[in-house]
Amino acid sequence: MNEYVLKTNQLSKKYKQQLALNKVNLSIQKGAIYGFIGQNGAGKSTLIRIVSGLAFPTGGTVELFGKTTEDDLVEARKRIGTMIEGPALYPQMTAAENLEAHRLLKGIPGKDCVGKLLALVGLQDTGKKKAKNFSLGMKQRLGLAVALLGDPEFLILDEPINGLDPMGVVEIRELLKKLNREYGITILISSHILSELHLLATHYGIIHKGELLEQVTAQELNDKCQQFLHIKVDNPNKAATVIETDLSTTDFEVMPDGVIKLFTYVDVPGKVSSILMKQGLIIEQFMPMGEDLEGYFMTRIGGVNRG
Amino acid sequence: MGNLLKSELFKLRKDRSLWTLIIILTASAIFYPALIFFDNGADSATVNELFTNTGLGGNNYVVKLVPCILAGFFISSEYSVGTMKSIVASGNSRVRSYFAKLITFSIGAIIISVVFPIIIMAASMIFFGNNDLPTLDYFVQTMGLTILYAAAFASIMSLFSIIFTDSGKTIGFLIIFFLLFDSIFYLLSQEFALIKTIFNYSVFKLFLDINKVHLSNSAFLKLLLVPIITWIVFGMAGSLIFRKKEIK
Repeated sequence: MNEYVLKTNQLSKKYKQQLALNKVNLSIQKGAIYGFIGQNGAGKSTLIRIVSGLAFPTGGTVELFGKTTEDDLVEARKRIGTMIEGPALYPQMTAAENLEAHRLLKGIPGKDCVGKLLALVGLQDTGKKKAKNFSLGMKQRLGLAVALLGDPEFLILDEPINGLDPMGVVEIRELLKKLNREYGITILISSHILSELHLLATHYGIIHKGELLEQVTAQELNDKCQQFLHIKVDNPNKAATVIETDLSTTDFEVMPDGVIKLFTYVDVPGKVSSILMKQGLIIEQFMPMGEDLEGYFMTRIGGVNRG
Repeated sequence: MGNLLKSELFKLRKDRSLWTLIIILTASAIFYPALIFFDNGADSATVNELFTNTGLGGNNYVVKLVPCILAGFFISSEYSVGTMKSIVASGNSRVRSYFAKLITFSIGAIIISVVFPIIIMAASMIFFGNNDLPTLDYFVQTMGLTILYAAAFASIMSLFSIIFTDSGKTIGFLIIFFLLFDSIFYLLSQEFALIKTIFNYSVFKLFLDINKVHLSNSAFLKLLLVPIITWIVFGMAGSLIFRKKEIK
């Protein structure tokens, strides 16, 4: 039987007239790295804020480690680490002092964890430098160290790789993988960098305008990522007309660079190429391709009718 | 609760605004008797006069206004730097988190409120000698009451600081509030009997009486109980507001 760290049941949140979350049923299995995808204002942060206790739902329930009552949820939050909408740091304090303040807050015995976490995120040599003088990447790493205090079983990270240089992104990715693999930490991570999320997540949730459109595993996503024919011809407008009339389909997109993505007839590419050539079009590129996470996400939030 | 208090005390110790205010108040308390001494000579004032008139009299403004600055930096700035999110998501109840913050802020406000009269007395003793000191009873009474009233005002400041999410707005509002509220409250009390009763039993009115040398038992009891009740009532009100507040 699957064990769930987090489940939401018909979770809704309304701000005056605006519905930020609409009956969201999200579930995160223990041990998963859950990539939470959505545009700005889609409801990602609202859901994360409700789970973390920063905001209150107007409908539905949150189940964290199987706990649902208000008092139990407060207690359950001792088992999570969060970094929500940027790292929460005291600018006048050093990295070690920031961790010390949060260590005391969480009631973690012993100061050993402070040095260990600083080393883990590569900030052991920052000395007396105050957090306000850190680069954005250093702040992100310190925020991650704060979230890791107390060996949480569930990490909630909202845009943790924002502002990191390419090396930093790789380091954080490897660190999160290690935490998940070696310590069994479940991770909920939201990011706009979908290509990066694709390298990390084992599960995905796509949210759009407050509604959870889909939850899939990485394997299911790979299977689902839509195949299409990548076509480049000398006259894309004419080709579009030919596809509409001769192939009787509107399930295609003309990209700004003139490339046509045809989502039907993927299994009969010869038929497509012969019809295009019969109409006197010169084919420059013609190959079957699959969508990446970004393309899949765009397809899901944009609907299936591209024509 | 213990871990919350430890964390808040750690942050208070590291709060630069607290240390800056203490240094400014200490410097003022040393320079004032020094100026009198160098300008007018050793016989121009006594320790008792300086403690009562300047130390306690001038402290009326310090107790009500200076902790407003600490409130902005120590409480409201937690919102602007995002650390309030860590506090709320840490697995501690919001009521406990609020009271830990209030207790620690009250300690900070108390330190600010006793620095000026104590240092001015100590400095005056250096410049003007040990003659004509305030009695120990009077010193303990006034300092004890100053501590209670500083805590009561801190409780009111804390309530507003938890509502505002910006240190600048908090400081501006609190200073204007504490500068004007006395006068507005007094004017209203002249018009309405109920408000007059409330005013007479408020920390705003009773705070002006803590310097009195002779107090009856009932007056002293009133001076003791009102700030304690104020601290509890505003503490509970603040914790209820914080419990329902969404953290942005």
